[in-house]
Amino acid sequence: MSSFTGVRPLLKVSLHQDARNIGPWVVLISVLSVSSILAYAWVFPDPEDRLALSTRLSANPALALVFGPPRDLMTSDGFNSWRAGVLGAFFAALMAIFIVVRNSRAHEDSGQAELLASGVLGRQARLTVAVLMATVASVALGVVSFVATVSVGGAALPTLLLSSTYAASGLMFAGVAAVAVQLGSDARAANSLAVAALGILYVARGYVDSSGAPEWAAWLTPIGWLQETRPATQNDPWPLLLALGLAVGLVGVAFALHARRDYGMGLIPPRPGPARGTGANIWWLSFRLNRGSLVSWLVAFAGLGVVFGYLATSIGEVVADDPGIARLLAAGVVAEADLEFAFLMTVLQLVGIIAAVFGVGVVMRMYAEETDYRAEPLLAGAVRRRTYLASNAVIAFLAPGVAMLVGGSVIGLVAASVKDTISAVDVAFQAVATVPAVWTLVALALAAVGAHPAKRVVGWLGVVATFGLTILGPTFDLPDWALDISPLRHVPPVVLPDPDWSGLGWVSLVTLFLVLVAFAGFRRRDVG
Amino acid sequence: MSNQTQPVVDVRGLVKRFGAFRALDGLDLTVRRGEVHGFLGPNGAGKSTTIRVLLGLLRADGGEVALLGGDPWRDVVELHRRLAYVPGDVSLWPGLTGGQAIDLLGKLRGGLDERRREHLLERFELDPTKRGRQYSKGNRQKVALVAALSSDVELLLLDEPTSGLDPLMEAVFTEEIAAEKTKGRTVLLSSHILSEVETLADRVSIIREGRVVQTGTLEELRSQSRVTVTALLGRRPDPGSALLDGPDTRLDGDRYTAAVEPDEVNAIMAELVRHDMSALTVTPASLEDLFLRHYDDAAVS
Repeated sequence: MSSFTGVRPLLKVSLHQDARNIGPWVVLISVLSVSSILAYAWVFPDPEDRLALSTRLSANPALALVFGPPRDLMTSDGFNSWRAGVLGAFFAALMAIFIVVRNSRAHEDSGQAELLASGVLGRQARLTVAVLMATVASVALGVVSFVATVSVGGAALPTLLLSSTYAASGLMFAGVAAVAVQLGSDARAANSLAVAALGILYVARGYVDSSGAPEWAAWLTPIGWLQETRPATQNDPWPLLLALGLAVGLVGVAFALHARRDYGMGLIPPRPGPARGTGANIWWLSFRLNRGSLVSWLVAFAGLGVVFGYLATSIGEVVADDPGIARLLAAGVVAEADLEFAFLMTVLQLVGIIAAVFGVGVVMRMYAEETDYRAEPLLAGAVRRRTYLASNAVIAFLAPGVAMLVGGSVIGLVAASVKDTISAVDVAFQAVATVPAVWTLVALALAAVGAHPAKRVVGWLGVVATFGLTILGPTFDLPDWALDISPLRHVPPVVLPDPDWSGLGWVSLVTLFLVLVAFAGFRRRDVG
Repeated sequence: MSNQTQPVVDVRGLVKRFGAFRALDGLDLTVRRGEVHGFLGPNGAGKSTTIRVLLGLLRADGGEVALLGGDPWRDVVELHRRLAYVPGDVSLWPGLTGGQAIDLLGKLRGGLDERRREHLLERFELDPTKRGRQYSKGNRQKVALVAALSSDVELLLLDEPTSGLDPLMEAVFTEEIAAEKTKGRTVLLSSHILSEVETLADRVSIIREGRVVQTGTLEELRSQSRVTVTALLGRRPDPGSALLDGPDTRLDGDRYTAAVEPDEVNAIMAELVRHDMSALTVTPASLEDLFLRHYDDAAVS
């Protein structure tokens, strides 16, 4: 019996079981590409509109932070490769990470893998199956997005390249996840490790793209390699080989580690802990359960703050390189300080969305505790349901608030230390003003989990919709009523002499309503 | 406060639906103060669902439920101060130690008895410094048992509490519950381990498909079920004899076996005497027979 015995039947069953989880990712990422081809012709029908778009994007490098630099916005394929390029690769990477962790480490935690491992199954078979599943999903994503995009009018070669970058990203991060699965002590830790690696590489790529760094810097991150295929402009497939090489290398490392690791354990052995739980209560518990992720998220926000803070100071020079902007600056239509603050507003909205992901994650964690039957013994104690919910809600609301404060302060301090046109206090204040809007998104997730957890995906949809409306909406000339759906739109710029706080007041009323729904619903529903 | 004669658990006509499935279908259950009440039934019969309704985790769709004189859905905090719960499949927090989990659960119930805690840790041979993810199933079970038994409560709700324990630890559990009983605690014990129920339970209820099909003391249940009579016969009965009447009678050579209703024992004795019997045994139904009959019927229907 080889190390890979049993791969084929297990792969078949696993794919069959997991197809329901993988399908939506493939569809949504393909829609990202399809929609930009369709939207381009509809929103920017004339060359003037396209030129105006070009100028608007060059004026705010915050968008390059998310999407990468626009290379050619005069064709629908060029637009697609900008709007759906690295973002699509990012989501493809997330998909692959979740598939690998879900099908290897998570099964060890639940004991399902034990049942399988006792069968006629090679030592490496389970990891192989997880990696193969991510491979199948990545290739399927490439094929589906290619066929769908071409069918709505994408040109064959650029679309083929773009779709291949999705597949390549999926493969690379399947490798990253396969290694993370060996290092982490459980599925949650493995997920965090792999997603953190993705996040750091993505932000590093964003920094390179929006700071006016030299050309070679684009090769510093694997996501940068994908961009270097330059769909619709140079159409160069060779960087894909580099990505494939990395994927193979990482999987090789993962297999080597897997062969050495004991079942159910990470490479870091657990140590004994305190025999007593002094001060243990329900509030302590919700803090204790989230402590690890609190620390890593706050470190991440401080890191983001440093990156974004430095970026803000170079914004003037970066945008001045663009001839259109240079004209506007020279004519005195816009001042450099305005551009800097516009950039900071966008960056803080972005930080706000990331903070919302953090808060919604805490809420979803609470539900995971419930489905793992760990809420049951707590609620069997003398604990009111509202107290239990509150102990989690407090963390879900406070954590993103503190994260915004940390992120905003660091951005402000770093930016102000380089440029005296930027006030650290203003930036921090602007970050704090964003918090109520972030809370609305957290409250939406809380209402879903509290009242009707089967529909909890609403919590994530709220974050995704806000991202789309806030970051992309203005570029697409969406009507005001649509843009107003995003709570972040109601955050006034605090540097104005007389900021209008009424929008935030309304947003907070919505938050309050959602919180009431959460508490009323949680009181009424079955638990466990 | 509930008075001493009022039942600790009083459930009438309880209905709980999950979608179209009726998990509990008019369940009646009474647990008297100070008794250990065995709660038995095949897998999926509704034992855990009943206990979760009693804990106020699930909301009843119909019927009346009174727990310690209160409403388990409404009076959560007041009632839960007075009870402790051990689930059949204990899920611990992976990063917390067993000791931390015990203190947390005890604290939530309003504090635990330090001497009991120490005593139980020793008896169950549990290392409280290990993390949740390191414990085996049996050790996770012990964590929940120590937390529940070291608190000073009136009612213990135990849902298959010994699943995963080794026989030695099972014996410790039986001793500890017997000690709790002498202190006047009430125990609702859901279990599949017949010896455990036989040793501890004053009364039992048997549940099947969401309904209690039989309830009473073990003596009562035994007296309702058929008695097995075996004997060696010196004289073979005629084919039409009353001895061979009935579905559960058998004759292998001179060895006679029959299962009869308790009130028929006298009549059959008289018949056996006439057939010159020897080596007579009259065995009341064992608990095992009793349960197997109920479990089996469930499988048939």
